[in-house]
Amino acid sequence: MREAISVPYLKAGLREWIFTTDHKKIGMLYLTTTYIFFLVAGLFGLVIRFEQTSPGYQIVPPDFYNYLLTGHGAVLLLWWGIASHIGGLGNFLLPLMIGAKDVAFPRLNALSWWAFFGASVLVLLTLIPGNHIKMMWTGYPPYAGNPDAGVTALYVFIIHLVGVSSIATAVNFITTYIKMRAPGITFWNTNMFVHALIAANVIQLVGVPSIAGAVTMLLTDTYLGTNFYNPAKGGDPLIYQNVFWFYSHPVVYVMILPIFGMFSEIVSTFSRRPLFGYTSMIFAVWCITFLSFIVWIHHMFVSGVPDWARVLMSYTTILIAVPTGIKIFNWMGTLFRGAIIIRTPMLYALGGIFMFLIGGLTGIPNAMVAIDLGISDSLFIVGHFHYVLGMALTLGIFGGITYWFPKMTGRMFPENLGKLSFWLMFVGANTFYFFQMVVGMLGNPRRYPDYPPIPEWVTLHQIQTVGALILGVGILVFTIGIIKGLTSGEEAPDNPWESQSLEWRLPSPVPVDNFGDEHPKVEPDYHPYKYGAPPAF
Amino acid sequence: MEQVFAYPAKWWSEAVAVWLVVAVVIYIIVAVPGIYFIMKYRFKPGEREIGDHENHGHWGLEALWTIVPTIIVLVLATYSFAVFKKQRTAPPDAMVIKVTGFMWGWETEYLDEQGNTVKKVLTVFNPTSYELPEDQKIVVPAGKPVKALLTSRDVIHSFYVKPAMITEDMVPGRITHLWFQINEPGEYWIFCREFCGTGHSHMFAKLKVVPPEQFAAWLKGETNVANRDLEEGQNI
Repeated sequence: MREAISVPYLKAGLREWIFTTDHKKIGMLYLTTTYIFFLVAGLFGLVIRFEQTSPGYQIVPPDFYNYLLTGHGAVLLLWWGIASHIGGLGNFLLPLMIGAKDVAFPRLNALSWWAFFGASVLVLLTLIPGNHIKMMWTGYPPYAGNPDAGVTALYVFIIHLVGVSSIATAVNFITTYIKMRAPGITFWNTNMFVHALIAANVIQLVGVPSIAGAVTMLLTDTYLGTNFYNPAKGGDPLIYQNVFWFYSHPVVYVMILPIFGMFSEIVSTFSRRPLFGYTSMIFAVWCITFLSFIVWIHHMFVSGVPDWARVLMSYTTILIAVPTGIKIFNWMGTLFRGAIIIRTPMLYALGGIFMFLIGGLTGIPNAMVAIDLGISDSLFIVGHFHYVLGMALTLGIFGGITYWFPKMTGRMFPENLGKLSFWLMFVGANTFYFFQMVVGMLGNPRRYPDYPPIPEWVTLHQIQTVGALILGVGILVFTIGIIKGLTSGEEAPDNPWESQSLEWRLPSPVPVDNFGDEHPKVEPDYHPYKYGAPPAF
Repeated sequence: MEQVFAYPAKWWSEAVAVWLVVAVVIYIIVAVPGIYFIMKYRFKPGEREIGDHENHGHWGLEALWTIVPTIIVLVLATYSFAVFKKQRTAPPDAMVIKVTGFMWGWETEYLDEQGNTVKKVLTVFNPTSYELPEDQKIVVPAGKPVKALLTSRDVIHSFYVKPAMITEDMVPGRITHLWFQINEPGEYWIFCREFCGTGHSHMFAKLKVVPPEQFAAWLKGETNVANRDLEEGQNI
């Protein structure tokens, strides 16, 4: 299959893009698709935001609002939250960072992409008015089987196809990491991004079958007359919630761990200093991976599960604050006595860490079961996860895109547009989500297109809309930055950030066969964060 | 002694205050030095071109910021456990009501000591406004604990008593429970907080808290279930 990957991807034709098994091209396909879906789901979010600006139904009727909200949640979690940085940046970077020519199973990798493409087509089909799905991304039965919820099968098959794609990618990436590292790349000098990527894919491998089972039972309940979730025939709707959250809580770490990895790469590079506490960072990653599977009841603190289960998982949940805290402290330790250069990727990374700090601290009351009884299913939780999964994640991905933009495209991301976009997004997002948490603390339930005209609620919603508009402009500026960078960005040197990491030893953009037929020569004391010594090449 | 407005909201607000203090302190401990480092340790050509590359880890420090947070979060979780016990355990003298959610509205039954239904109140969905006719309000006595048994007729709903800051889902096939006590007469919000479809944001009720004598008189009065308009309303 030498010929199949012999065309540089910027010059490749349609045929090449369709039949490609090159990890870099597949990565670009993922990244482009998920970015477009991110923009569309973001527009859905803006409509949702405008609808809530004042009480009453203003722009959309409630059932269409429910469709927008379902689409916003599902697409931003499954497309933007997982696929953009695992399928996209992960595909592009994993072989480069470990000195491999491609992933272990290039054709399986293409299959992953095409399954994901199929899921994307199904999502587009829901845009047709009769096909709206309105059961929210969680799809709780019995509501998900109700005619009011829309086409259940579409929801189920979207989850199935994304699941197929995720499992195949997980098998592929884990094998690649174990078997294809260049001599000299070991567990103790692997990039944090790769460590996090592998941990995330271990979660995918263990967890995805669980959600696939949950939605399959939903499918057979709805269309084939089984009664897994039907209490009238001896089933129980809480089975779904348990099986669903057994995967869907760990999945938030699938989303955020690779982002932590990128923060580590960027902060170390732009502090011109070795990553502080590298070993404890690895420990923290695996600690989070393990803990993530024994905390799912915190999504069900008010669902009627026994009190002892709530208390037990309140303890396990709050313990996750410890390894995430270790990571934040280590980033601060890296900044300490660094030689900090503020470039666009560094701004995004620092902003993302700052957002995550607030997101982490506002996660504590959700873990404290006593507080959660008062704020469960309120806009507080929505504000909280938009700090972590909304903004820490998006700023992380934008940081990753701007950081590896030279390696991917051979051009630099326009610095001024990047910085402008960052500040707009940062100010907008904090205005938006902080006040969303406040209105949630005051009791405003989530998933409400309309709400009673309580004066302080109205004021808080208006502030949020202003924030959302600023955030939207920030994302627009970033999009313009991508286009401008691709078309007229200045030509990138091979290692514009003077990074010590392996992928920067390749030319920009990366040649089709990466390091060629030989493994790259990795010196015995190689370390991706070995700043302070002169460059090794 | 100051007058407590509502239980378990009192303990809930105390827990929120405890968390908020801890969170703000941790925030200051992390963010202030963080911003200081970013401003102080800037790259300066010829002067500071490379960061400190001798120290890339410090076992003492790393152990410190593992152990101290572990203690803090375990204390918080244990404190939350103690509050949770009080939130979940209704006082023995609580009055019992049974609330059934449906798409979209509530049916509230007032039970006597033997568990027989004394009175029913039907509250139905009003898709356009947040006003409720007088006979659809859920009435409870002030200063008396009320234990609500919850279930649902169709999909999962939830019962959120806003003044008491307490929520519990209404799950078909299960009976869940919560309790609250409101000491000040007045009208308060009840919302459904578990997504239940097109009518979700208008699935609300008004909780009317009245002095105990007035409640006793109300309990003997007519039920609104036979009202013809309501029967039609239920079929929306």
